[in-house]
Amino acid sequence: MKTYHLSPWARARQEQFGLLFYDTRSTTMTFVRSGACLVAPPFEDRARPLRIVSGSRAEELRVTRVLEHLEAKGLVVATESH
Amino acid sequence: MPQSLTSARLRAPVNVTWEITDRCNLGCRHCLSADLRRGSRGELDRARCEALIDELAAMQVFQINFGGGEPFLRPDFLDILRYAQAKGIVTCVSTNGTLLTPALADELVGLELLFLQVSLDGARPETNDAIRGAGTFERIIEGVSLLARRSFPDLSLNMVVTSTNFHEIGDFHLLAGRYGARTRLSRFRPSGDGSRMWEQYRLSREQLAWLSEFLGEHAEILTGDSFFSLTNADRRNQGLRSCGAARMTCAVGPDGSVFPCAFLCEPAFLAGNVADDSLASIFEHAPIMEVLRELEVEPCQTCDRFSLCNGGCPAVAYFVTESLGLPDPECLRVAIPRTEVA
Repeated sequence: MKTYHLSPWARARQEQFGLLFYDTRSTTMTFVRSGACLVAPPFEDRARPLRIVSGSRAEELRVTRVLEHLEAKGLVVATESH
Repeated sequence: MPQSLTSARLRAPVNVTWEITDRCNLGCRHCLSADLRRGSRGELDRARCEALIDELAAMQVFQINFGGGEPFLRPDFLDILRYAQAKGIVTCVSTNGTLLTPALADELVGLELLFLQVSLDGARPETNDAIRGAGTFERIIEGVSLLARRSFPDLSLNMVVTSTNFHEIGDFHLLAGRYGARTRLSRFRPSGDGSRMWEQYRLSREQLAWLSEFLGEHAEILTGDSFFSLTNADRRNQGLRSCGAARMTCAVGPDGSVFPCAFLCEPAFLAGNVADDSLASIFEHAPIMEVLRELEVEPCQTCDRFSLCNGGCPAVAYFVTESLGLPDPECLRVAIPRTEVA
């Protein structure tokens, strides 16, 4: 089971469509159409992990793919939790 | 990035341009803030500045673009920068570079979440000085050198592209590189004193077309405000759109007055003042913000590039045509056949 945290240089906030990520290194944005499936940590407490809201199996797979994409972009960091 | 999301209504700006002082030690001929500064009713004091930063953090605004006037004329500006950075907000400072000293450069190198943009309007002294004032080229380069010697990491040199410095774009790019700085090319807009220099400084159609090609070939060059007629697919894919006013951005004047964007700081576009109301409420509810968000440039809607540029910059359209609903007058499609710009 993986847990995802924001990278130290990443910011994220909740929007109607999902999450809006911001990379402080480049000032670029990434729009993620995740709806309510993915919840960003509070702005003032970025150390907390992103929360995946359980839905259908298909939704869960889609969110996992999104998180892997964000990890590849350096916006989130995955850690194995047991 | 799906286009529909870039035009989605956001619950807060992504960045806020904050003209934090009405004081300036230069008198640049195309100053876009000139009218705003002349009409300003003083500056927010430090406590009010910190309160506004608290609110921006609560709104989850990612970035503040500080300008002026010249921000470093405020004795408390470094403290304000540090306060914003402590909240995790990225700070981008637009400065004329003439007030940089070794001591100030040492301080700036020690700050995090800081991008510095130094304005320089030509690759040669005579070109820059004709716009920014006699002797400024040398003073600006001295300031840039101080930062370069300290390997300041996030430095850019910004040139507002006009008919008088257009021919130096290539040399300007080389000059920036010599100081380890990125090149930023900004569009000249007829805002503030720019409106009085519009006919003299505006680019010709041929120059605009050349610039579009140049930017398309140089993805490393920053263009904070879009030259919306870009022809290069990579630039398009960066999601450049012509206007983020009242959607992704808004502007705050020295006295706390709020506008839809830094290029629309005329009284007609005043949305409110942070001394009277919260920025969140002004951004969400001010009628002029809604006007900008709902703006539809009807003559452009049949164009195949409409989804990319959405009609261009309303500020340029407004100041040239006195209408918000008309196409950006600098759209290349207006004068050049599609086959030449597609």
